[in-house]
Amino acid sequence: MLRPLLTVSALELRTRIRDRTALVIAIVVPVAMATLFGVALGGDDPPLRATVGFVDLDGGEFPAGVRRELTASTELEGVLTLRDLPGREQAQTALDAGDIGAAIVFPAGFSTSVGAGEGGQVGVLTSADTPLAGVVANAVVDRISALVRARTLAVRASLDAGVPASEVKEFVERNGAGGPALTLANDPMAGGKVDLSVYYGAGMAALFAFFVVGASFRSLLIERKQGTLDRMRAGPIHAWVPIAGKAVVGFGLAMVSVCVTWASSVLIFGSSWGDPVAVFTLLLAHVLAATAITMLVASRARTDAQADGVIMVISFVAAFFGGSLVPLYSLPDVLQKLALFTPNAWTTTGLTGLAGSGAGLASVAAPIGVLCAIAVVAFGLSAMGFRKGLLG
Amino acid sequence: MTNTLTCANLSKRYGGAIAVRDVGFTIAPGEAYGLLGPNGAGKTTTISMLVGLLKPDTGTVVVGGTDLAAEPMAAKAKIGYVPQEIALYPDLTGRENLRFFGRLFGLPRKALRGRVEEVLDLVGLADRADAKLDTYSGGMKRRINIGAALLHRPELLILDEPTVGVDPQSRKSILDGVERLVADGMALLYTSHYMEEVERLCHRVAIIDHGAIVAEGTRHELIELVGGVDRIELTLDGDVETALAKLHGVGGVTEAVRTSAGSVRLIAEGGRYLLPAIISTVDGIATVTAVEVVEPDLEATFLHLTGSTLRD
Repeated sequence: MLRPLLTVSALELRTRIRDRTALVIAIVVPVAMATLFGVALGGDDPPLRATVGFVDLDGGEFPAGVRRELTASTELEGVLTLRDLPGREQAQTALDAGDIGAAIVFPAGFSTSVGAGEGGQVGVLTSADTPLAGVVANAVVDRISALVRARTLAVRASLDAGVPASEVKEFVERNGAGGPALTLANDPMAGGKVDLSVYYGAGMAALFAFFVVGASFRSLLIERKQGTLDRMRAGPIHAWVPIAGKAVVGFGLAMVSVCVTWASSVLIFGSSWGDPVAVFTLLLAHVLAATAITMLVASRARTDAQADGVIMVISFVAAFFGGSLVPLYSLPDVLQKLALFTPNAWTTTGLTGLAGSGAGLASVAAPIGVLCAIAVVAFGLSAMGFRKGLLG
Repeated sequence: MTNTLTCANLSKRYGGAIAVRDVGFTIAPGEAYGLLGPNGAGKTTTISMLVGLLKPDTGTVVVGGTDLAAEPMAAKAKIGYVPQEIALYPDLTGRENLRFFGRLFGLPRKALRGRVEEVLDLVGLADRADAKLDTYSGGMKRRINIGAALLHRPELLILDEPTVGVDPQSRKSILDGVERLVADGMALLYTSHYMEEVERLCHRVAIIDHGAIVAEGTRHELIELVGGVDRIELTLDGDVETALAKLHGVGGVTEAVRTSAGSVRLIAEGGRYLLPAIISTVDGIATVTAVEVVEPDLEATFLHLTGSTLRD
């Protein structure tokens, strides 16, 4: 089995290398496109100016403390403007009108509830039009939530330990479970600040992986047309050898393509894509999914031209909805949900997460899992398609 | 002697349409077997089942004692299949094409080099072996197409219309080469639309139509099927109409028709022996200026059995 497989793969590799166009699509175009996008749109994020609505229906010490910390924060000086609004509806109206980028809403009784150890919920209003303000508001609320959880836990523990309810507040604050003091992380935009050259580099890598691996399956259909596929199948080899031989080369070349795009982005822009092991594994899972999807197309297509067209459409649709061409947050909510069906969305989100957070392999376990699941389903369907068609 | 190929009860159905129905035949070592049929008769489907490209709905294929369904790899290793089209890589040279298929079919690396040279000599392309295939003439492509099927020394060679579109020289070269292989003991299954090729090469012939074998036997046996009826073409000068009426009465003549102003066609049994009677019958009415006796051949038999309606 192995020798025929290597023989088919060697011929496929040789054919692809001899075909200059294939090399251009695998290496030159994705690197050039990623570089052009990076130069045109990349670099540091533009200076952030966010106006966040502040709705204090509580009137207690907690919202007051948060306001005090936000206005005193040196990190947010000149960046964040708070605008007081009387209610949630007014905040929503201001958000819809574009007067504010996001809003934080403290419900009535919030401070009392937290003080009694019963927790509480802070509302956040965001808009797809102002994603960066939303990131700031969410970062603030995340921090508040952490404080509330700590405070709630401390109050409950004190009550359980027999501290009288009237003395709990003083007891808890004296023992370090901070009151409404809010300490913001050094960079409240963590996870939201990614050099766009990385974003577009990842997008181009994800897009062109489809074209590169698709070319191998297209050549399988060309072989069917010229009769060489049947000639191979009439020989003493396993029926799957021609398909597997081409898949291996397509997969390998697509890996080279995405890795070269990655390396070029790092070398040209000096930007890091994050932990190399995690990036490589995520790219590997993406190429696996792209291989399976293009194989599925080849298993159902009647001609190489038909396969070419379908792969082209799938690649661009997945790239558009998956955030390879335009940032995901620019898409309406419905399309953002639709994006979850594309491998590109999981790959792009995973890669930008790695670049922004500096986290490791474990942080992209979910995208890798989804990509592998897509690959398994598509491989299964293509096996059924090949049995009924090409190998029938 | 064990047959190189034994197939029996082969049937294949596509939806409601029957492509092949109960086809079966045998080919002995050193025997050439012709499979004739109009377009769409079931030849390609039959061959596809014989080489393992299609699974038959019913029936068995045994090649050199190995059941194709039970041991496909071993059975396929005994078959050399030459498809109708030039199933080779146009961007590779002739030698590279042979090397690829030799490797694919499991020839050991050391043996492969020598075997490629042997096959190149066999098909007469040693001097053009390093030119790309797309620079070859039609005949050269056909020869290398056959060569690729000979690398692993098959026991059974299946040639599906191997001389389509080639010049007479290349055709002769291909047929000479195939004759030599059969003489050396290889079993041959041959399909062609050129009856003279089948008559020249094949010891036995099967005629397939509408998915079933309608006749099988040696060339002589098949021709006997149409009853030894000859066709006589007469060219006459004189009263052709009266001569035609008289000719109807000649014993042995079953049919007489006027084909043009001065010519008549007769269908007769033992036509050659009737010539003196025919000439004396028209004596004084018309003068026979030319005569041609056409004895039945494989083509006549084929048309008799499959009809002369055009098939697409």
